[in-house]
Amino acid sequence: MKGLYLFIASFICSASLYAQLDSIQYLNEVVLVDSKLEEFSEGYTLTKISDTLISRNPVSLSDLLNFNSNIYIKENGYGMIASPSYRGTNASQTAVIWNGIPINSNLTGQTDFNTIATASLTNVMIRSGGGSSQYGSGAVGGSIHLNNTIEFTENSSNELTIYYGSYASVGGIFKRKMATKKKYLDMAVDFISSDNDYEYVGLNRKNNNGEFNKLNISMNGGLRLNNSSLIWNSNYFSGVRNLSSTITTFNKDSYKDETFRNLLTWNSTSKKWNNIIKGAHIFERYQYYPNRENVLYFEGKSNTIIGDYQLEYNINEKITVSSILNLTHIKAEGTNIGNESRNTLAAIFIWKQLVSDQLSYNINIRQEFLNDFENPLIVSIDTKYKINQWYSLKANASNNYRVPTFNDLYWNNGGNVDLKPEISYQGTISNEFYFKYFLFNMNLFYINSKDLISWQPDMNGIFSPINISETENIGFEMAAKFSKSIQTNMFNLGINYAYTSAKNIETGKQLMYVPVHKVTGTIDYRIQRFNAYYQQFFNGKVFTTTDNSTDLDSYLVANIGVDYFFSYKTMPIKIGFKINNIFNTYYENVAYRPMPNRNIQTTITFKF
Amino acid sequence: MKTLKNLIYLLIVFLFISSCSSEDESLPNFDCPEIEANIGDPCENSNGVEGTISEDCECIDDQASLGDYENGILVTNEGPFQNGTGTITYISDDYTTIEQQVFNQVNSADLGSIVQSIGFNDEVAYLVVNNSNKIEVVNRYSFESIVSITDGLMNPRYFISSGTNGYVTNWGDPFDNTDDYIAVIDLFSNTITSTIPVAFGPEKLILINNVLYVAHQGGYGQNNILSVIDTSNNTLASTIEVGDVPNSMVVLDNNLWVLCGGNPDYTGNETNGKLLKIDVSNNSVVQVFDFLTSDHPKHLSADGSHLIYNLNGVVYSKDEADISLPQESIISGTFYAMTTKDGKLYATDAGDFASNGTLKIVDLSTNSEIQSIQTGIIPGGVYFND
Repeated sequence: MKGLYLFIASFICSASLYAQLDSIQYLNEVVLVDSKLEEFSEGYTLTKISDTLISRNPVSLSDLLNFNSNIYIKENGYGMIASPSYRGTNASQTAVIWNGIPINSNLTGQTDFNTIATASLTNVMIRSGGGSSQYGSGAVGGSIHLNNTIEFTENSSNELTIYYGSYASVGGIFKRKMATKKKYLDMAVDFISSDNDYEYVGLNRKNNNGEFNKLNISMNGGLRLNNSSLIWNSNYFSGVRNLSSTITTFNKDSYKDETFRNLLTWNSTSKKWNNIIKGAHIFERYQYYPNRENVLYFEGKSNTIIGDYQLEYNINEKITVSSILNLTHIKAEGTNIGNESRNTLAAIFIWKQLVSDQLSYNINIRQEFLNDFENPLIVSIDTKYKINQWYSLKANASNNYRVPTFNDLYWNNGGNVDLKPEISYQGTISNEFYFKYFLFNMNLFYINSKDLISWQPDMNGIFSPINISETENIGFEMAAKFSKSIQTNMFNLGINYAYTSAKNIETGKQLMYVPVHKVTGTIDYRIQRFNAYYQQFFNGKVFTTTDNSTDLDSYLVANIGVDYFFSYKTMPIKIGFKINNIFNTYYENVAYRPMPNRNIQTTITFKF
Repeated sequence: MKTLKNLIYLLIVFLFISSCSSEDESLPNFDCPEIEANIGDPCENSNGVEGTISEDCECIDDQASLGDYENGILVTNEGPFQNGTGTITYISDDYTTIEQQVFNQVNSADLGSIVQSIGFNDEVAYLVVNNSNKIEVVNRYSFESIVSITDGLMNPRYFISSGTNGYVTNWGDPFDNTDDYIAVIDLFSNTITSTIPVAFGPEKLILINNVLYVAHQGGYGQNNILSVIDTSNNTLASTIEVGDVPNSMVVLDNNLWVLCGGNPDYTGNETNGKLLKIDVSNNSVVQVFDFLTSDHPKHLSADGSHLIYNLNGVVYSKDEADISLPQESIISGTFYAMTTKDGKLYATDAGDFASNGTLKIVDLSTNSEIQSIQTGIIPGGVYFND
């Protein structure tokens, strides 16, 4: 029985919606590979999505962020190519960071959120606002951090989850963890396959050509020595999808993705010094089949090698300085881009000072070299002022950039090698309130982006990218969390709201696919062996044309689910039952691409 | 006894009828005997309005509208490339009435993805919807849907009618250069009755004396021929080699003029644009005007004796008799579609391809813009519904 309650507790305790970073103590036993995420940016709002919340939306990162963040996800039909718009920025301006390493595609500049398997992650963190000084290109609207933590505590566990849902969706997740005080190893295999032939609500038609399957294998290992640790993170993903038709077409195309990422981190600490050496290799490949019945395909792939050395020095108890040298070599090739490569050397300097118990600030400076761009000096300043026990004020200001992708530069036909990086200037002010049962924060942000890359036709009608548009985004974000337990009952409530005005400065029009309003909400109630929950998101109207002449209606989508915990002999078991889209709402988040009707998802998890 | 009485009565009736019919034979034979008039005769209806006898033997007001969309300009709007519907914009000849999404409004339905072109036959319009692989057949004046042709089309491009047949260029699979064809549609049944395999990339069509000329622009690639199709037996009669990428054709004084864009720079084999004159009596190229290698002209149309085309951000006008290409342009602009009619130039601008476009109307006698009218998204064709 003890095992069962620990099991339940592990689900519940990690169910907090927002990281209370102030309370996080750096235990040596738990190593977050990307230590700088929390260490040098207190002036930024960081939102943590725990593994419990991840397990409720197990199919994709798109689902997870739709229900748990302010990010608008443009999904070309369920499970299809999906890209984010965060704080009104474009799809290549949200960086996805895997254990501290940026993984946005070198070819498209984006991460397809339906190619990220979340089941193996310890948590997902959303860092609001510009992060280019630390994370490089693309961290403009914000960055999404996929984290695996390493825990050097005695542990040996296996967990098997079997997933079955509507549209012949079948999946399985197997996780194995082995750890001692010196060694750690985990492994997770995650597979899902779906016919994805959902009904279009009210249209008397089914989703056509939408089948997908995904396989993800993740391994993380660690060795702890006297004053140092060696950590290895590895992730392999393979996905095969047909690309759903729209309301007005019947498609036959198909898409294959493959990524393989490896990261080795050596961390050595002394009283004053901290050395972190990283080496990483990232492989990505896509294959596009215009007709799935034919052998013809178009391909793009890239290999990235990263070497990173970080030296941290504590000048005194109040001041820490850190410097990072990062060398990135990218080699890309593809049907439409030929063979191209790029080297970038980045030098980063970080100054962190605790002025008093209340006030701290960080300065991050980044300069890049070697590549062919005009490399701007990137600066970020952030500060946190803890006014009292229950109220903190945060502020940050930064400039950020996004380099042109290999497709932008070399695509045949149209690629433009004279492109400059996109530049943005931004600032955020945050108020954070902490009460016993209640957390609340409010952010105000401003982003001005220049030289945005846009593909436009030239005199001969050939589309080519140019640095042209300028946008101004102003927004307000609010997040609240209420949490209370009485005896064996536990109640959690979470709400997010975002107001985003994102305008093209020349036309004064709201940018395409940026809702002015987005709301998400979750209610979670546990009583003894039951855990019931409700999750919903509301997307306001979005425009689908640059002149705002056409739009998609607003909609509200809600899911409801219940988990039941019991044990068979000594084996803890969880059974989950969930109804997605309970109101059977018709909705599109990309025009003419309807999303699923009401559907069912069931899971059973064994721990042994 | 009663039966006999009935039989006699029937006999009397029969005799009466037969005597009447013998009388009719001596009268003129009217199309509409009940009103003693022929179809097409002038008439006056009960309201005293002058009209014409219709096929239904009714006196139809001569001024009566054939539908809301008679006497105007039709613009095909391709619609967003990946996710949406194309539309038709109607503009009345006096520019006072402008209606967007004509098909969608009249039929309460989406027209489909990538509205490529319109072809006409009498009072029927054939709306070719490329990415939805269909042709919507509508009454050209009311835009009421008649039928949707879906079987046998694969990436349809352009339609032209000849007699009882319609001809539609099809790319087939755009990445397969061996499956391109012309679909032959029986215009009574609106079904595809046969196909004529042709070289890759068939695009625009023109009909001259029952001979069909098909320009092989080359789909996503480049081609350099015209197919000549004999419409009496629907077979490929011959091919004519022209310049690279023949993108537009026009007939002037019984000559076929073909404008070829040339291979673009990105192909690695850039070639110059060409303007060719073909004598249709023997299908021989009789005159060739070469552009510079980096020049890739588009959108050939005719205004009187002048050939009009778009090149390098300007529009040129060349008299057919001129022995060289013009150096002076008439107006500036890079257009997505361009055509001429009755001394006016109709040119579309697709803007950023993600918002409504515009149609500009230019008076070719003064080369000044007389109208600029909003269209739908990506206006790709201009047609006249007179």
